[in-house]
Amino acid sequence: MLDIEAIRSDFPILGRVLPNGKKLVYFDNAATSQKPQCVIDAMSNFYENYNSNAHRANHTLADEASSALENARNKISGFFGAEPENMIYTSGATEAINLVSYGWAKNNLNSGDVIVITEMEHHADIVPWQELSKEKGVEVRYVPINNDTFELDMQAFQIALEGAKLVCVTHTSNVLGVRNPVEEIIKMAKNNGCKVLIDCAQGAPHEKINFEKLGADFLAISAHKMAGPTGIGCLLTSKERIQEMGPFMTGGSMIETVTTDGSTFKDGHAMFETGTPRIAEAIGWGAAVEWLEQFKMEDIHNHVHQIASYAGSEMKKIPGIKIFGDPTNKDSSGAVSFLHETIQSQDLALLLDQGGYAVRTGHHCAQPLMDALGVPSTNRASFWIYNTKEEVEGFIDHLKYICERFA
Amino acid sequence: MSLPWPEHLDDIVEEFKECFDSMERYELLFEYARKNPRPLPEEEWTEGNQILGCQSRAHVVCSLNEDGLFILRSGADAQIVQGLMSITAIAVNGQKPDVVSKLTPAYVEEMGLKAALSPNRANGFLNMFNRVIKEAEILSES
Repeated sequence: MLDIEAIRSDFPILGRVLPNGKKLVYFDNAATSQKPQCVIDAMSNFYENYNSNAHRANHTLADEASSALENARNKISGFFGAEPENMIYTSGATEAINLVSYGWAKNNLNSGDVIVITEMEHHADIVPWQELSKEKGVEVRYVPINNDTFELDMQAFQIALEGAKLVCVTHTSNVLGVRNPVEEIIKMAKNNGCKVLIDCAQGAPHEKINFEKLGADFLAISAHKMAGPTGIGCLLTSKERIQEMGPFMTGGSMIETVTTDGSTFKDGHAMFETGTPRIAEAIGWGAAVEWLEQFKMEDIHNHVHQIASYAGSEMKKIPGIKIFGDPTNKDSSGAVSFLHETIQSQDLALLLDQGGYAVRTGHHCAQPLMDALGVPSTNRASFWIYNTKEEVEGFIDHLKYICERFA
Repeated sequence: MSLPWPEHLDDIVEEFKECFDSMERYELLFEYARKNPRPLPEEEWTEGNQILGCQSRAHVVCSLNEDGLFILRSGADAQIVQGLMSITAIAVNGQKPDVVSKLTPAYVEEMGLKAALSPNRANGFLNMFNRVIKEAEILSES
């Protein structure tokens, strides 16, 4: 059982009163989560007391910074059931996916090879494959969603697997909150001889993700949606996949030797961690993981599910409101996308903001999904560990008020 | 000291300043959206006159009338943006283009709608406003 009041007290921003005098109610967690004080302190402590570049010098600060960076790697990889040597720090899930495209796919796929993705993917898991298609002539197939259930059409997925070499699927939709049957997807893909990438950016804050148990080849993860800082994430993979990869970005850190005749590169994750590492961010993410470890991810998921279910059920009762996805589904991440039939989504978001409610509006970096849903944009309320039923009650009241005044 | 907006906008600015709260201001803006003096109907929305932004569709056509005075026609699916453009049209229509090119969105802030001026790249109104100013600059040079 989560002590929500105690959890909320860990987050200094949740006490904020906005310039319009309204108390902040933060329902944009699918965009980024808020950060507990311990994460803020860990990063400040680094800059205040042992800021140094890592892996580059032999003085005390450099040792401390290097140790902190690698300790964070150990903590984070352990949290996700992966080996630290198979965790590559990136700037987030987007870079992680690009790393798979440039580092693995470019070296292992050829013209005519097939990549299977879905129409519910975030642009980060669409555009790299489109670019690869232009460069190498690979075919990109899109698995559709079922417009009634908002779930992936698994029959279409089976068909799309024919001749495929790589499958890239989001663990959880940032728009619909739908949690894909990734275990089944991975099994089907592997039976078809495919390598599999799972975009875990939305899934990681809501359930315990274990790299070994999942059995995918690549997991892309962002820190900032799971209490960590922005600007850092990772690609989790295996020794075998790393050995098949070529460098993505080149320059400092990832080299073994450089002469005017050419360069040799480091092995393992080091080949893909170019330039000065995001040391403070890694330390912050390690602190976030430590903070999360005091809870069962299942409890976080159940808490979010309760709130989102309540929100979705109440919102459906408001005349003119349409919900996309099913927040009452037990596996949903609790992202509730919605529209009003006459109040345009940007207007609705601004009017909600007047009541202190932070929601997102737009295409959510998922334009093909918007096309599939037949809408240009949606509003989205997304919940996490520190949100409360009382906040949702206030949100529903304010939403009803807007709909009555502005419809 | 002259205000940084045309005098004939004063009454509208005052009307917004007298609103009780932001919700009343936005309600008033929705009314102005309905009263756009020169609406650009949807059938005239094209890629060429579209203002690119993340969150809403917005279209602007600027021209000079037979007397060489500025005419702004606008359309947006977001009523808040449409309302602000209606008020902007009231401000600029019938003015000389070089006068229009010097307009700033100060009146929007005075109206209590500072949020509409956010540098957020998805800001429909600010993107439209900047386009109008740019078009006015071009028309004043031609």
